[in-house]
Amino acid sequence: MADLEIRDLHVRTDEREILRGVDLEISRGEIHALMGPNGSGKSTLANTLLGHPSYEITEGSITFKGEDITEAEPHERAKAGLFLAFQYPVSIPGVSVANFLRMAINAKREEPIQVKEFRTQLQHAIELLDVDRAFTSRHLNDGFSGGEKKRAEILQMAMLKPDVAILDETDSGLDIDALRTVAEGVQRLHDEQGLGALIITHYQRILHYVKPQFVHILMDGRMVLEGGVELVERLEREGYDQIRQEHGGQELVA
Amino acid sequence: MSAAGNGAEPTSSPAAAGTPVKAGRHREASLYRALHGAGAPLGAGEGRTLAQLREAALRAYERLELPVWRRSGFWSTSLQGVELDALETSVSEQGVPAVVARTLPERARAGRIVQSAGAVVHVELEEALAQRGVILCSLEQAFAEHGELVSAWFSRRLPIDRHKLEAANAAFWTGGAFLHVPEGVAVEDPFEIVYAIDGAGVAQYGRTLVVGAPGSDFRVHEYDVAEDFEDGQSLHAGAFECYLQDGARCRLAQFQDWGKGDVFDVSTRFVGVGRDAYCHWLPALLGGHLVRQHLELAVMEPGGDMAFRGLFFTEEREHLDVFAVDLHETGPSGGDVHWRGAATGESRASFEGLIQIDPGSQQTHTYLQIHSMMLSPKARIDAIPSVLVSADDVSASHGGTVGELDETAIFYMQSRGLDRATAVRVIVEGFFEPLVSELGDEPLEELVRARVAAKLAAAREDIEAYATSR
Repeated sequence: MADLEIRDLHVRTDEREILRGVDLEISRGEIHALMGPNGSGKSTLANTLLGHPSYEITEGSITFKGEDITEAEPHERAKAGLFLAFQYPVSIPGVSVANFLRMAINAKREEPIQVKEFRTQLQHAIELLDVDRAFTSRHLNDGFSGGEKKRAEILQMAMLKPDVAILDETDSGLDIDALRTVAEGVQRLHDEQGLGALIITHYQRILHYVKPQFVHILMDGRMVLEGGVELVERLEREGYDQIRQEHGGQELVA
Repeated sequence: MSAAGNGAEPTSSPAAAGTPVKAGRHREASLYRALHGAGAPLGAGEGRTLAQLREAALRAYERLELPVWRRSGFWSTSLQGVELDALETSVSEQGVPAVVARTLPERARAGRIVQSAGAVVHVELEEALAQRGVILCSLEQAFAEHGELVSAWFSRRLPIDRHKLEAANAAFWTGGAFLHVPEGVAVEDPFEIVYAIDGAGVAQYGRTLVVGAPGSDFRVHEYDVAEDFEDGQSLHAGAFECYLQDGARCRLAQFQDWGKGDVFDVSTRFVGVGRDAYCHWLPALLGGHLVRQHLELAVMEPGGDMAFRGLFFTEEREHLDVFAVDLHETGPSGGDVHWRGAATGESRASFEGLIQIDPGSQQTHTYLQIHSMMLSPKARIDAIPSVLVSADDVSASHGGTVGELDETAIFYMQSRGLDRATAVRVIVEGFFEPLVSELGDEPLEELVRARVAAKLAAAREDIEAYATSR
């Protein structure tokens, strides 16, 4: 049984059905890529998995480590070991990165983390993500550049050590150096901690740095194609239109 | 930026609360302008003895009604519910109320003066400072022992007759606090001035005079605290004045939490900044049944600079009304007004901020911002900025935000494992943090943070209900 099991997931928001029966299984140590054109429902899936209140699950279920979390509060999902790296990370004025991390870590623990242990972990994560030490005393995402926000997401992921992380277009808006740092960070968390990841992306380039074992293509709220890394190459050659024609995805009415 | 003279139609008397309400009439700025004119000091003190002042104030007290201030949105701040006859200024002296030790942080301090009801019950001053000429004592004692010094400043810029309770203060004040920091004396630890109310039935006419001589550098922390009580009322009608002479620097902070009793607080505060002097002023208004604060921070001489900060957090049925003036009587001068307020329960708060730049105050640069956050469906905050400029080589503008809880930010934090209540606390604390951290004094910062956290914890259900109703 996979760690994260998504069965026949139907999701609506603003009176519109976005996901129309999605199945997906992800376990620790697996790297999955989820690709699809704009509007296919990728971000909806990401937000639904963490329990965003604007998305209503009308059918189907989400199970994590054997527990049904379809109705669970977002923080319960996080404590169970799920993580979402946001496409648009939110700024939290007045709270430093380090303080926020300490709060988030302590939320998962019975006893507060020891100062020394926290420092050691933070130092490790800082090196992994190639950020300045001063970075952690800045207010979370407040005035951060696009690249800094994405690094801060991965930094949080490194510190919180989830079992399965969903990375929602973490590659968008990054220059090539930032992209490499972020992607290599994900790869190392996979290699060192056995992280399972669902990398949601619009483009192929992040997949040059993180090698997925499984690739899923989402169109119009359904998985239309699933396979190995060869799918990425095929997509690069043929584009979404070709796949859409072959696999019956319908144009979304705008 | 509005033009000079905006809303400055002549009116007869600010106390004429019964006159028909004209457009914009609810604006305190209009009344202030009408009364103050441009650059005409309002002080009642000059050329009058204390006895003459008390006599004039008594006549005003007898003539005036309890005040009502009309506000936008058809509500008003009314003190007409205060039962003055049921309140006593004199109390049997029982020493320092327990709430003082319970609230104030244990920390190094330069001195402390505590007034309970109408009497000063505790005075202490670092011996080394006393030897350098620092004076900290009751205002009554100061008039007796330092008459000339006190008379030179007393009520210099505070009027006595804008409303009944202002007059009551000037007529009936007892105890009081006087702080004088002599020329060139710099003191790191704060002077603490405490007004405490130990129960119902108290009328406290608090009166504070602070004078920073040229080149002095010091901190003042005022605490306004009360024991919780259930039945009855108490009143704090305060008058505070602080004058900073050439090059003096003062960091002035106020922690106000009148507790759960029906404490009415109607206070007037004036801070005058002299030549090349500087004041950082931060009232933290964190509790009171009905609180009305008239605050003025004025640059009186060229080169004066000021940072006028403030935060407030109302809960349950509290009512807060703040009028804050950033006054420039001369230039060049600098100003920077930045307030933040939050409200829960059915509380309401009105913050009116006025930048006034008088004629001839060239090269004045100032900015006013007010940010507010409503945390329950029945809470309300009105933020009203005004700019009155009578000089042309200046910059003056205002800005602000009105916000509710950001659900996206809450979800973001929840996705990191924080529960909803914690996420809300992080947002609200983060909202206040830019100002709290400006206090630059760890024990006081912690006190303010703790009070904000306590208010949030008390309002938890309210905040939850608000979120799910949207």
